[in-house]
Amino acid sequence: MTAIDVGDGEDARQGLVTLVITVVEILIDALEREAVRRMESGNLSDEEIERLGSQLATIEAEIEQLKADEEIEDGVDDLRGDLDGLVNDAIEQLHGEPTATQNPGYSVFGGEGE
Amino acid sequence: MSSDGANDGDGAAKGLEALDEQPADEHAETPAIDEGRYLYCLVRADEDAALETTGVDDEPVSIVTENGIGAVVHACDGIYDSADLAQIRRWLVRHQTVVDEAGQAFGTPIPFQFDTILRGDDAAVREWLHEESETLERALSGLVDHWEYRVEVVEVDPISDEALIERDERLRELDEQIGGSGEGTAFLLEKQFDQRLTELRAARRESLTADLEERLAAKAREVHALERSPSAKLSNDITDTESETVRDSSDGSDESSDGEALCRLTVLAHEDDEEAIGSILDDVAANDGLEVRFTGPWPPYTFSPELGDDGTAADERANPQP
Repeated sequence: MTAIDVGDGEDARQGLVTLVITVVEILIDALEREAVRRMESGNLSDEEIERLGSQLATIEAEIEQLKADEEIEDGVDDLRGDLDGLVNDAIEQLHGEPTATQNPGYSVFGGEGE
Repeated sequence: MSSDGANDGDGAAKGLEALDEQPADEHAETPAIDEGRYLYCLVRADEDAALETTGVDDEPVSIVTENGIGAVVHACDGIYDSADLAQIRRWLVRHQTVVDEAGQAFGTPIPFQFDTILRGDDAAVREWLHEESETLERALSGLVDHWEYRVEVVEVDPISDEALIERDERLRELDEQIGGSGEGTAFLLEKQFDQRLTELRAARRESLTADLEERLAAKAREVHALERSPSAKLSNDITDTESETVRDSSDGSDESSDGEALCRLTVLAHEDDEEAIGSILDDVAANDGLEVRFTGPWPPYTFSPELGDDGTAADERANPQP
């Protein structure tokens, strides 16, 4: 995936909303993971945990509602899938994971004009 | 060494043409090859060895030998490139078939990737074989009677949340806590619960893979882990015949939606150890919900030495990432 297509004309608004919601969702996921981490660390009081949790629950519910209203649930899922693939590729390249499959292409041996 | 004659006139004529009016306008990036030899594989072969078969694009295949090493080739005057996927699929299948036939006739081959071409005529091939004879000899004798096998472990019936909860104390603890917490706390605990489930699944996959790799390594010469999902895939129905009709039957289910690949391994093993490897895989397949796909023997594509990158000029073009 090299481009995010938000469409044009009528579709543009929905495409853009899809993109924004997707980004917000990813942000919320990160916040939730951080909240869980802090809860596990034992540095939060029960009261703080309850408050943090209900705030995040509210935000998540709002986002779900928004997605349903805009009918973009599938669009957001697809985009997240694409982004996951992109990120996984990047990570795998970073780690130099085994890639026994070579890139397709041709090989020509022997110098030109020999 | 026999089927060359049929091609000579044609090849030479085209070679001259290419010299005069190179098709550089249309394919600015493709290298010009006046005369070349398309390489399928290297095998152990004597002077009088022959392989009767047709290669890529229906070209007649021949063997060029030097000092007991034979290169399976056909004469060509350009690279094989096409925008037509069906065409490429046919070429690839032919390439594969020729390598397979050469393997059956002469023992484990050192296969070349599709579209590997050496500039020059049979004499140039012989010269190259001569120059590289030490490396090639070592590689060929190292691979004698060894073949590549592919193993894919697929989870056709994923382990259920319940089964994981039953096995994991921490999950049971969290489950209880969720029941007795306020709404906000329960929300976070559920997130934690889900994370734990994901972690357990990943850990299960990793331990299964590591265990299998270790057991295979005891029987095989080499074991490599491949990416969990193939980066490129032509189609499930690579057949020599017209694939159009076959493709229809499998459409819709083209993606391997029948399960998640837990691991994909490729193994280099002696043909005598094939059964031992099979029985290791039987053990894995005995697990509930797991299916093992075992293919081979293949020519040792993954385990062949890299040739030609030691100073010899090679024009290589990898397709740009999509």
